[in-house]
Amino acid sequence: MDKEAEKLKLKEHIIRYLNLLQVTPDDIKDDMPMFREGLGLDSIDSIELVVMLEREYGLKIENPKEGRRILTDVNSMMEFIEQGRAKQNEA
Amino acid sequence: MFYIHQTSCISHQPTFHEVDLENLNRSDNNQLLAVEPKYSNIPIGQLRRMGRALRMGVGTGMQLLEHNQTDGIIIGTANSGIEDSITFLNQILDYQEGRLTPTNFVQSTFNAIAGLLGMITKNTGYNATHVHRGLAFENVMLDAIMRLNENPEHSYLIGGVDEISVRNYRMEAMAGWYKTEEVSNLDLYQTETPGSLPGEGAAMFIVNHKKDEAIAKLRAIQLLNVLEPKAIAAQLSQFMQQHLSDTEPIDLFLSGENGDQRFFKYYAACEKVIGPNTTIARFKHLTGEFQTASALALWLGCHFLQTQSIPAHAVKYIGDRNGLNRVLVYNNYHGEQHSFMLLERGGGN
Repeated sequence: MDKEAEKLKLKEHIIRYLNLLQVTPDDIKDDMPMFREGLGLDSIDSIELVVMLEREYGLKIENPKEGRRILTDVNSMMEFIEQGRAKQNEA
Repeated sequence: MFYIHQTSCISHQPTFHEVDLENLNRSDNNQLLAVEPKYSNIPIGQLRRMGRALRMGVGTGMQLLEHNQTDGIIIGTANSGIEDSITFLNQILDYQEGRLTPTNFVQSTFNAIAGLLGMITKNTGYNATHVHRGLAFENVMLDAIMRLNENPEHSYLIGGVDEISVRNYRMEAMAGWYKTEEVSNLDLYQTETPGSLPGEGAAMFIVNHKKDEAIAKLRAIQLLNVLEPKAIAAQLSQFMQQHLSDTEPIDLFLSGENGDQRFFKYYAACEKVIGPNTTIARFKHLTGEFQTASALALWLGCHFLQTQSIPAHAVKYIGDRNGLNRVLVYNNYHGEQHSFMLLERGGGN
């Protein structure tokens, strides 16, 4: 799967897990902030996203401080997923 | 006793914005799902997390709380957001008690509706949820009566809410509570089989001790558990003697008859006590059967008293009383949990 298809899949997961009514993958720009402005998510949504990364990608955010950076936008989440997969392949 | 000042209702019929009870919505696939409005009064960030029961409960509650300050919120629900509860329980199994999301759990607790209403409106007053199956809403009313007796200057939001859950529906159907043959709500009372049609909805009320400009007065309520029809009839007779004088006739008997032939005997026994002069109407073809349907019956009673009219499809028998001043609601759930509610027009006496 190419990177754009991966991003589309990630956006679909975000919409499904957060039940974002009336939001389509096209509405979520790759560098759009997830919290406050942008998608306007809140702290409960951040937990949903952490669970989504675990369930769908088998990736756990070990350090809560990293969570804020990882969940900044689609680009940062995608970067975390790619790095996590690389580690999984090494192991 | 309390006065009812404002009401809000979501049901299978158009009851939320423009009320239209003349043109009956037909049941679909043997169910009476609520016609949900566009919830402009619920913050969008919270709305997207809510299941049906929460949306209906918060939507109807907000319609009243937007314009009224209350001293508390008291909600009755047998199951609250049961679909979310079952989703959460399944996730516990699917993910072996790990990787669980908070939303389904938080939204499925019984007190989520009252809690969310309190948080959205920043109401830090009394906040309670009653969950006594088919008498959940009646217990809300008892609570409100006691609160108002202690605090006569207070106002409360009270209401009843329940949803049809796909999974719970299957279990209840297997237990024999619903019709197995295809039946329209228009023909519900003509059936001669066990079971009813499931429904869902929410009804909310602003209640207090202020007589002026009240829609109706709840004069009395009685709750009964597991009694034979003869005993129910005797209790009804006693209830009427206790709360009505000879010059205060019942104009309308609003019956919770639900098409389940196993329970017809209860309604028939009560109709005999009411006598031939009182009009009899039924409401389960409008709402369907569910544990807090009595909240919708109270809403209908208020609506009939306000409009002084009853839709023809609801009328079972026409009595000879002039005007519509007093309504007696009798409902039972599964033939085990019974209630009488005596309503009077406006501020009453």
